[in-house]
Amino acid sequence: MTIVKEMFAAFCGLGGGLVAGCGYVAFLTVLGIVPRLVQLSKTAKFIQYYEWAVVLGVLSGTWWGLGDAGGRLPLFVAAPAGLFCGVFVGMLAAALTEVINVIPIFSKRIGMDRRLISALMAIVIGKVAGSLFQWLYFVYH
Amino acid sequence: MDETVYLRLRHRIRVNPGSSVLLSHIAQIIAPGHLEEILPRIPIHQITEEDRDTVVVDMMQIISCIRHYAPSAAISQIGPSEAIIEVAIKKRNLPVLFFILIWILLFLGSALAIINFHEDVGMQAAQEKIYYLITGIHDDTPLVFQIPYSLGLGAGMVIFFNHVFKKRFNEEPSPLEVEIFNYQQDIDQYILLNENKESIKHFDHR
Repeated sequence: MTIVKEMFAAFCGLGGGLVAGCGYVAFLTVLGIVPRLVQLSKTAKFIQYYEWAVVLGVLSGTWWGLGDAGGRLPLFVAAPAGLFCGVFVGMLAAALTEVINVIPIFSKRIGMDRRLISALMAIVIGKVAGSLFQWLYFVYH
Repeated sequence: MDETVYLRLRHRIRVNPGSSVLLSHIAQIIAPGHLEEILPRIPIHQITEEDRDTVVVDMMQIISCIRHYAPSAAISQIGPSEAIIEVAIKKRNLPVLFFILIWILLFLGSALAIINFHEDVGMQAAQEKIYYLITGIHDDTPLVFQIPYSLGLGAGMVIFFNHVFKKRFNEEPSPLEVEIFNYQQDIDQYILLNENKESIKHFDHR
């Protein structure tokens, strides 16, 4: 009986993973972060490797994150890792703002066409400041 | 003798209030010699107060204007059949105070939004975990990870929008510029259909 239960659990897990994986890829595709990076760096020929980078990232995040093994890497490795994570989330946030199309409408409504970049910078600097505020102050209170 | 006149309407022109829009303003013209003189000076539309800020002129109207002055011309149209005339009403200047308020609104709003996002997705726990996976140290506040993360956040947005305070990585338009272009395109489409009284007619009198 246990084996049936466990097989059922495994089956559920597989199904759940399948759907979550599809959802993740769909989400990433809609936001168009990979095409954006390819366009900026003009490296369209490596696009397949980028796909694999995403897939491997998800897989290792899952496996590695589910376990409880601490790493042995020196402290300074954490800084670039944090930077890359931040850039990714930043692009995610930017893409999200763009997908919901707020900025064109907003700038048109208030007649701020010319000051668009400084409005954009308000958002960017706001994000950085908010994040720093959270980690340096907010979490301690 | 060939009387063919080729006309290509411009998509959108800007004129001063009260001015008279001539054919040469609204279209590119190729015409045989004897028409070359008159055609560009044919008045198409007189801007009045009632026009407010946009007027749509379509090909039918232009043809009938040309007929007045050059009845024998055979008009051949190339490209769009409508043009948008934008009346340059003096743009209200955004007061600096207003701008500063909006800037603060966006600044504080996005700061709040990112904090909400971090709380929502359990970012702190995730960062602790990543920090532990890399260094093997349990730390509630892994600042070595979090400070570069925060700076990277801004860098990522800037990279996506392709703006480093106006300086570009390359010549291509940023997604934002494309987005604004598309939005303008949609608005133009709407204006072309709705400002032009000939485009929509109701023949039911109920």
